[in-house]
Amino acid sequence: MSDRSEADRRQQESRVQRLIRRPEAGAMVVMIVAIVSITIASNGNALNALGIKNNLAIIAQFGIIATGAAMLMIAGEFDLSIGSMIGFSGMSIAMMLKWGLPFGLGAATPFSAFFITLAMTLALGWLIGTIVVRSGLSSFIVSLAFLFFLRGTTEVCFRLINQSTQISGLEDFKETSWFADIFGGEAFGFLYDIAFQLGFNLNRRGEQWVTGVDARVVWWIVIAGAAYIILSRTQLGNWIFATGDNKDAARANGVPVNRVKVGLFMFTAFCATIFAACQVFDTNTADAAKGNLMELNAIAIAVVGGTLMTGGFGSVIGVVFGAVTFGLVANAVFYIPWLDGSWYRVFVGVVLLAAVFANERIRKRITGGI
Amino acid sequence: MAEPYLKVEGIVKKFGPFTALNGVSLDVYPGEVHALLGDNGAGKSTLIKTLAGVHEPTAGQIYVEGKPVKFRSPRDASSAGIGTVYQDLAVNPLISVTRNFFMGRELLRGPKGIGLLRMDEMDKIAHDEMLKIGIDISDPQQAVGTMSGGQRQTLAIARAIYFGAKVLILDEPTSALGQKQQMEVLKTMMRVRKRGDIAIIFITHNEIHSQLVADRYTFLALGQVIGAGKAGELEHDEIRRLMAGGAEMADLEQELSGI
Ligand SMILES: Nc1ncnc2c1ncn2[C@@H]1O[C@H](COP(=O)(O)OP(=O)(O)O)[C@@H](O)[C@H]1O
Ligand SMILES: [Mg+2]
Repeated sequence: MSDRSEADRRQQESRVQRLIRRPEAGAMVVMIVAIVSITIASNGNALNALGIKNNLAIIAQFGIIATGAAMLMIAGEFDLSIGSMIGFSGMSIAMMLKWGLPFGLGAATPFSAFFITLAMTLALGWLIGTIVVRSGLSSFIVSLAFLFFLRGTTEVCFRLINQSTQISGLEDFKETSWFADIFGGEAFGFLYDIAFQLGFNLNRRGEQWVTGVDARVVWWIVIAGAAYIILSRTQLGNWIFATGDNKDAARANGVPVNRVKVGLFMFTAFCATIFAACQVFDTNTADAAKGNLMELNAIAIAVVGGTLMTGGFGSVIGVVFGAVTFGLVANAVFYIPWLDGSWYRVFVGVVLLAAVFANERIRKRITGGI
Repeated sequence: MAEPYLKVEGIVKKFGPFTALNGVSLDVYPGEVHALLGDNGAGKSTLIKTLAGVHEPTAGQIYVEGKPVKFRSPRDASSAGIGTVYQDLAVNPLISVTRNFFMGRELLRGPKGIGLLRMDEMDKIAHDEMLKIGIDISDPQQAVGTMSGGQRQTLAIARAIYFGAKVLILDEPTSALGQKQQMEVLKTMMRVRKRGDIAIIFITHNEIHSQLVADRYTFLALGQVIGAGKAGELEHDEIRRLMAGGAEMADLEQELSGI
């Protein structure tokens, strides 16, 4: 009796048990179900050469912003300004490309337009974060204020300078500028070349059909990969978890809680800017309504990926699964002729609710039901 | 007689018009458990927060190894060797034992912040340090939330010692625990005491616990020291009387029966 200790009461779990209890397990199951059922219902069209390109385009968009949202949520905060930040960044880049740099500094290049915009969005992210940590107000309210503020600012700027809330027919910068090409161009062309050599990827005339996926897929891989390594392997990752779990404990142990939070608000602003730059340089257009509701998609994907609403817990891999699922379902209407596109939102609602319950169970199991 | 590691002289702490501490003095010796006792509101937590660098005293002086010191932040206090284990323990339930153990002081390969964690090494240290003071956790990667209250205390204590605490301040470490876990914590304290180089300030309400482990006592009431002494020198009844804020048991019994 006396040599029995508390530790012995913990049941040792098998490898399989551990795997199914990981936060991303549920997201993986949902993703597999989505892939299989959409493939079947679309007669495989969702996964042909063009289908993969188009699906990855929206998956990468979701993935980029959901990674930012998830990192911030793990640190215990929300950012509802992501969607408006996308609209603002896109407006800013396109406006400079069309009307030149501010203060009459001459014509803009994709390089200067992007970096001036990024400087502004990072400053905005810093401002939102600083207001949140200094005031102690809920980030929900502070970032909600910026949701309205930035969307309004975007529309006003469009009307004042451009007389219209759209810009279209910008020069195709990706043809002439390598910098525009890394946002709006294509990548992984070699895979499509190989597929063509092997006899897939043919159009009706037997020529090569698709030449590559959107460059934003590379951005998604880079951002998600970096986030994964930071979260699971670095000191900063430990600080992010600690900040979201119990910030007083983190602070008492010397974690710079406020700097972590402000930095992550800047990271979500960065993700929104990348999203917008890819969109502008890909389509050579901008629109005041761009990014609308994207903040809510990002949060939903983060939650479905296993991120706790209360912070301190989450998984980048889960967010990848969530982005794949949401992207596929959002696009399904294009491959399944009889499908009503609104089913996407029905799906999101159901999956979100299920995910919140599943996450809550995981949290209770870890904290012993507190 | 050994030098006290920590000496507190005439500490006064006012919160506006309210005097929480009114000239408290205290000597803390290495290898000893110093029990700090007193009723709710006596000023125990205020005193240790002053020692931990959370509050600056209004008047009075703290000495570490005979040298006067002034703590402007918890950082200052911890680098002077004062490790505080708060009532809420300052642990994060959702993250692993190892990540908690090294929180804020992670071992890295590469630059601060984005350097990679040396997880295997940290796992081993966390496991070994906790084993030294009495618990053998099978998996340092398990979430702290899955551990018992006593084990969490041990984690917080092991962490403070590993990062150089010479004075360990335990704020009511047994109060929120069940019987068996309370004993675990007392055992842990005795193991730390046995090392001989660490002083423990043990804050408690529980007179039995204090008598099981304490070498020295200080009793606080209404912000003042109402009694102090070594374990052998204080009578059982005297401890009891001081615990009750200086009132005689007989008087209390009489008061109660008069109702
Ligand atoms: N930050 C503060 N501001 C004002 N009064 C305080 C503050 N902290 C403690 N006090 C008061 O000081 C007294 C002593 O409190 P405390 O040190 O927490 O007592 P104990 O830990 O012995 O129960 C209490 O009356 C409490 O209300
Ligand atoms: Mg107290």
